[in-house]
Amino acid sequence: MKKVDVENLKKIVGSENATDNPVDLYAYSGDASVHQAMPNVVVRPKTIEQVQKIMRYANKNRIPVIPRGAGTGTSGHAVPIDGGIVMDMKQMNHILEIKPGDVLVRVEPGVVDDDLNRALLPYGFFYPPAPASSRIATIGGEIAANASGVRSVKYGATRDYILGLKVVLADGSLVNLGANTRVHSSGYQLERLIVGSEGTLGIVVEATIRIYPLPKFRCLGVANFNKLEDAGNAISEIITSGCQPSMLELMDGIGIVAVNKALDLGLKEVGAIILFEADGNVKEAVDFEINKMKEICKAHNGFGIELSYDAEERKRIFSGRKKLFAALSRYKEGIICTDLADDMGVPNSKIAEAAAKIHEIAKRNNVIMAVYGHCGSGVIHTKIMLDPKKKDQWKDADKVIEELYDYIHSVGGVTSAEHGIGLSKAPPWKKARADIIPMMRAIKKALDPNNILNPHKLMDAPDDWVKATDLRYRVVK
Amino acid sequence: MVKKVDFKRSKKWENELDKCIRCGYCYELCPLFKSYSWESDTPRGKLLMVHGMITGKIAPTQEVVDKIFQCFYCKNCSDNCSAGVPVTDILTDARADLINAGFEVQGTIVQIDEDLCSVCGVCVPLCKYDALKIVDKGKDKKKIEVDKVECRGCGLCLAACPSGAISQKEGCNVTLPELHESVKEILKKDDKKLLVFACNYSIFPGMQLSETETLVKTPYGIIVTMCSGRVAPELILDAFESGAWGVMVAGCPPEECDHDGNYKTRRRLILLKNILKELNINPKRLKLDWFSTGESAKLQQEINKFVKELENMGPIEAYVKR
Ligand SMILES: Cc1cc2nc3c(=O)[nH]c(=O)nc-3n(C[C@H](O)[C@H](O)[C@H](O)COP(=O)(O)OP(=O)(O)OC[C@H]3O[C@@H](n4cnc5c(N)ncnc54)[C@H](O)[C@@H]3O)c2cc1C
Repeated sequence: MKKVDVENLKKIVGSENATDNPVDLYAYSGDASVHQAMPNVVVRPKTIEQVQKIMRYANKNRIPVIPRGAGTGTSGHAVPIDGGIVMDMKQMNHILEIKPGDVLVRVEPGVVDDDLNRALLPYGFFYPPAPASSRIATIGGEIAANASGVRSVKYGATRDYILGLKVVLADGSLVNLGANTRVHSSGYQLERLIVGSEGTLGIVVEATIRIYPLPKFRCLGVANFNKLEDAGNAISEIITSGCQPSMLELMDGIGIVAVNKALDLGLKEVGAIILFEADGNVKEAVDFEINKMKEICKAHNGFGIELSYDAEERKRIFSGRKKLFAALSRYKEGIICTDLADDMGVPNSKIAEAAAKIHEIAKRNNVIMAVYGHCGSGVIHTKIMLDPKKKDQWKDADKVIEELYDYIHSVGGVTSAEHGIGLSKAPPWKKARADIIPMMRAIKKALDPNNILNPHKLMDAPDDWVKATDLRYRVVK
Repeated sequence: MVKKVDFKRSKKWENELDKCIRCGYCYELCPLFKSYSWESDTPRGKLLMVHGMITGKIAPTQEVVDKIFQCFYCKNCSDNCSAGVPVTDILTDARADLINAGFEVQGTIVQIDEDLCSVCGVCVPLCKYDALKIVDKGKDKKKIEVDKVECRGCGLCLAACPSGAISQKEGCNVTLPELHESVKEILKKDDKKLLVFACNYSIFPGMQLSETETLVKTPYGIIVTMCSGRVAPELILDAFESGAWGVMVAGCPPEECDHDGNYKTRRRLILLKNILKELNINPKRLKLDWFSTGESAKLQQEINKFVKELENMGPIEAYVKR
């Protein structure tokens, strides 16, 4: 990129909304992943027209464009591996319209998930798929990653809520995809193609999303287990029992120790905890569901079970889970939590087996891995905890990733259930899904022939994730 | 310009910096981020810079220094870090290293205009961080010196200086001229009856990043000052004169203010209420209330209650007649 390009981009968004100051570029060199690479310029568009002009300019001059929301992506999705323009979408943060009568809202992509939910509260509605990162993650980033969250076990993922999208394509043209109605059978479901596209097919500039009336009652339960296996089996049974949990979360002993250390929560240090929730408008029905789940936990040796309808109490019980990811860094001195092998999906019957396998693979390869997540919807979160300064530990991590995903794929699981592929999950995913890569490449080529939108991610990401970019740590020994 | 810096104090934090997973929860509540909105204004971004400097990935330039010295030490970042990274402690050590290397710094640090300063010393005991000292300037002359590592940018000295000699860089909407402008701006819009001055340290965390203004019209407006101790009386008078029916100052409860600014606010508002009487303004139109961190629901309740009271009182007659 040349200096003149920066000047021209400044003309589009105003000089106060574009920067090539090395300090700013460095700050945009990373997200929540292990990767780091510098962009050449960062722009902050405020309008759809500005996004279109930037894309036209970039397309003409073959400059990579990487849309970015809050930068909470876990696999380097928004890391500019080829440099170019990082397009910070957080200035487009207006909630444009709330239409409770049509059970939908229209938002700009930079709206923060929790802010949307706060705005919906007075109307008695909510937007359910909230990821654990909802306090800062943007709707645009959630769409691009098809995020899901603690309530997805009952309410589904982001893709289930996207009715319509306005998208600026690589050549700067604006398309209006989808509909305002809950269902449509009017040709290709193109709005769904954009969901999960990780910024490689177009820039989401507006979203029409479905909202849901808030249930009158929510009851949260917590159960302790001495054995992780028992907890895993309890989850599998709850799902097949006919119960409809509105949340079903697992946290293993490693996670419990970590949140106790980081947040001083005083949780019982047992083999595993399950958090389970039922919601609805009829108290008796909620009671029935929650008690059934409680019984299933008991039958699998769950103990110390607490139930609460109180919002504050529920918040307290849940706080450890909400902050678990970062808290893992506190598990032990000298090791840190890296965002690797972080969100596989497994079939419901394999939760206990997969959890045990993860611990076994970690131990054999000299790293520590916590097992937790929205296991009710089959999402198993793990993080690889290691000493980032040691070269060998990165080799260990690489081995873990290979072994672990071979196992996950062999039992019919998926590489990523909700965080997306980005850079670090690309190698195992490409290996497992070689069959669909040509089709994905064809779609990419049709929509972005000059390969400027978030290039070299997903199917085009390098085969060696460790060397794909600089690691953000200082590896010395 | 790049300077050679010995990162003696910062280097010990490398392991802590590695523990940051960059989730960004730190910036949700950061007033600097809300003012400028670049990633380099987030606590996460600043930690990245410190890491970059001590590992040699980026050079310590004046631009980096300018960012590192922008922080009000509200500690919303460290308090919300799930990995328990002591963000502001790390920034303080980085500041010390950069100052030792001879960088010129400004950021959120207060500046003293020696021509205006009479060295009365009112500000010195006011600063809880001992960041202000009277020092010899040679030849029987004295001056006030600011300790640039210790200054937290809370701005209490600024509101108390009788000669207006203390200032702070504009841009975060906390200096007096900026606050006056906000008062006028907010009261010009819609039908605002109540103006609330809310403390950043306790109340701000309840507020949002995204903009919903177009949707929800409220009969009140909120201005976030740093500490409630910064709400100078003239700002409140300005609000009444600009059309507010009432003013609420929301600060931290007595023992909870990091800077003891709330005691000063309380004293100041008692005096101001007397002045209001003389101006024919019902002193009940000015309210001081305490709120702890996270009590945004209580703040909302009190605001609603006060709006009702004000609606009963109606507009201020003295100003209606004018
Ligand atoms: C602590 C923590 C907890 C998390 N918990 C969950 C969880 O429970 N569930 C879950 O699903 N994820 C979770 N995540 C992952 C992450 O928060 C989600 O993937 C989220 O959707 C990313 O949003 P973002 O705004 O940060 O996007 P970014 O990280 O900035 O970007 C992510 C991708 O979206 C693209 N993108 C961003 N905006 C646009 C746009 N307007 N148009 C097109 N493309 C765009 C980017 O190019 C990139 O490829 C967690 C992350 C962290 C750090």
